[in-house]
Amino acid sequence: MFSSFRLSMAWLHTWFGLVLGYVLMVAFFFGALSVFDREIDRWAIPESRFEPQPMPSFDKVLKPIFQSITPEDEELEAARERVGGPLPEKLPLMNWSAYTTHRDPVLSMYAEFAVTNNPNDPDEHVHGHVTIDPRSGEVLPHDRLKIGSGFFYPLHFSLHLEWQSLGYWIVGLAALVMLAALVSGVVMHRKIFREFFTFRPAKHIRRSTLDLHNLTGVLALPFHFIFALSGLTIFAGIYLPVSETMLKPQAQAHAMEEARAKGLAFKPSGTPAPMASVDAMVLEAKRRWAARDMPGEVGFLQVHHVGDANGYVSIYRAGSDRVALVGQAVHFEASSGRVILEEPPPTPVASINNFLTGLHLQHFRHWLLRWFYVLGGLMGCVCIATGFLFFVEKRKAQHSRQGSNASRWVDALAVTTVTGMVLAALAILVANRLLPVDLPHRGDWEQRFFWGSWMLACGHAVWRSAPVARGRLAPAWREQCWLIAALAVAAVALNWATTGDHLLSTLARGYWPVAGMDLSLLVCAGLAVAAALRLRRAERGSAAPAAAPEAAARDKLVEAPRV
Amino acid sequence: MNAARIASRVAASLLGGYAFVWGFVTLGIALGLAVGMDYDDARTLCNLLAFLVFLSCFCWAFAHASLARVWGVLAGGGLLMTGAAWWLLGTTAL
Repeated sequence: MFSSFRLSMAWLHTWFGLVLGYVLMVAFFFGALSVFDREIDRWAIPESRFEPQPMPSFDKVLKPIFQSITPEDEELEAARERVGGPLPEKLPLMNWSAYTTHRDPVLSMYAEFAVTNNPNDPDEHVHGHVTIDPRSGEVLPHDRLKIGSGFFYPLHFSLHLEWQSLGYWIVGLAALVMLAALVSGVVMHRKIFREFFTFRPAKHIRRSTLDLHNLTGVLALPFHFIFALSGLTIFAGIYLPVSETMLKPQAQAHAMEEARAKGLAFKPSGTPAPMASVDAMVLEAKRRWAARDMPGEVGFLQVHHVGDANGYVSIYRAGSDRVALVGQAVHFEASSGRVILEEPPPTPVASINNFLTGLHLQHFRHWLLRWFYVLGGLMGCVCIATGFLFFVEKRKAQHSRQGSNASRWVDALAVTTVTGMVLAALAILVANRLLPVDLPHRGDWEQRFFWGSWMLACGHAVWRSAPVARGRLAPAWREQCWLIAALAVAAVALNWATTGDHLLSTLARGYWPVAGMDLSLLVCAGLAVAAALRLRRAERGSAAPAAAPEAAARDKLVEAPRV
Repeated sequence: MNAARIASRVAASLLGGYAFVWGFVTLGIALGLAVGMDYDDARTLCNLLAFLVFLSCFCWAFAHASLARVWGVLAGGGLLMTGAAWWLLGTTAL
C-alpha cells in the first residue's frame, strides 16, 4: 500500500491527525484549563471566593451534613431505567466520603446508597453530593455549576457524552492517535534537532505554519507523550475492562482476600453499630504521618458501611507535597476508633502507576510547574491547530483549481475547534455572570450557552470560510478573533459589575484565583486582537498573486513528503 | 490505494490492535498470577504496558507491507493470547 516506511507514517500522521485532531484540541485545551479548575470555580461561584480550608471537624460539622444527603434525582432516574421499574422505598446507605485539596475553599461531600432490586447487578448503587462552606458548615446552593472542576475538567476526558462511556472511548482513541502522531511525526522529520530552534514567522504562511507545528511538537514532545499515555492508563479500567469481564472471578477473589488479609470488611454485617469519634481518628492518623516524618493534612476521608458493625473509616493524606496523589491511608474500626491497619508503602508497580497518575492530575503545590502545565497544554493546541492550517495551506490552491470544497470544510472545522472553542469557553463565563442568580437549573442554562455558542461559531465558520475554496484565507478566523476579544473583556467587566471584585482590588488583596482569571482573560483578549490585525493584513496579501515560484520550490525541499 | 484496502488497514490497526492488546493484558495477568504475583500488581503492570503495545501495533499495521499478515498477527495473535490466558486461568485455582 505504501512505497516506504516514511510514507506510511506520513499517511497515518496526516489522516488520523486530521480526523481526531478536532477531538485532541478539546482534550488539550480543556485539559490545560483544568490545571486551574479550582480557580475557575472561584471565579464562577463568587460565594466561594475565600481562602482554602483544611478538612473541618467530622463529629461537629460533617456528620450531620452527611446524614442529610439524599441521592441525586438524575441518578435515581438513571437507576430506575437500569432496574426497569420503581426503586425500593428505602435505599440503604453504603458509605460517605469527603475530598479536598490545598486549593479548595469549599468541601465536596459524597454519599453512596445501595439499590437492592437490580436483578442484573447486585452492586447497583446511586450517589448524592453536596458542597459546603467548611467555615460555617453551610450547604452551598446545589445548582451552582463548578465551571472548572465540574464542566471543563470532565469535558476534556469524556466530552460530556456519557452514553455507554462513548466520550471516553472517543478521547481514548484520540489519545492513541496522539501517541502515533508523535511517533510518525518524528519519523517524518529527519532534521529533528534543527526544529527545536526553527521558526520563520516572516516567511509565507505555509512555511511558518509548518515551523510552528514542528517547534511546538518537538519542544513539548515528552509532555505530549506522557499526557496522552497517562490519560490512557488512568482510564485503563474503562478501555480494557478485564476485571469486570474475563477476569471477574480472579478480581473479586483478590478483592475479598485483600479485604480479609487487611481486616477491612468487604461487606456490611447487617448488625447496626454506633460510630466512635472520627476527629480522634484524624488526630491519630496525623500523629502517625508525623511519626513517619511526613506530617500532612487530610485529603480524603471515607466511612465504609456507615452504621454497621463492619464499618470502618479510611483517612488518606493529601498529596500537596509530592507527585503521587492521596495516600498513606490509616484505617480505623468505625465503632471503636481502633486502628485496623496502617497502609504499607505501595509496591514498585503501584508506585510507578501512582507517579504517572499524579503527574497527570497534579495535586501537588507548585505554582510555577502548574503554569508550565498550562503552557504544555496550549503548545499541544498550537501544534494541532497548525497541523490543520498546514493541511489547508498545502492543498487549498490545488483544491480551488479542481473546484473541490475539501479544504474549505477542513478550515471551517478548524475555525470551530480553535477560535470557536475559545468562544464557547468565554460564552459560558459570560453567561455565568449574566444569568439571574435564582434562575432554576442555572447550571444547565450555563451549559446550554456553551454548546449553543459553539454551534453558532460552527455555523459562522462554515458560512465565512467560502474564500478558502478560491484559495484565500477564511474571514471567519479574523471575525471570531474580534469576538473572542470582546467576550473576554466583557467577562472581566461583568465580574467587576456583578461581584465588585475588579482587578485592582483582587490584586491588592493578593486573591490570585480571581485576579489570575481576569488577567488571563485580558491576555487572551490582547492576543485575539493581535491575531485579528495580523489576519487582516494576511487576507489582503492573499488576494495578491501567490509567492514567487522559486521560493515555493526551495521550501518544498524541507517540507514533509507530499502524501 | 483503493478504499477497501485502506478501510481494511484502518480496521486492522484499531480492531486488530485492540484484540492483540486484550490478549496481551489477559495473558499477562494470567501469567503474573501463575507465578504468584498480586492481582492488582499484575493488572497495573499490564495496564502500564498495554497502550505502548497498542501504539506499536497501530503503527506497525500501517508500516508493514502485507495486509494479510497484519490481520493475522494482530487479530490472530490476540485470539491466541486470549485463548492461552483462558486456559491458564482455568488450570490455576483461585
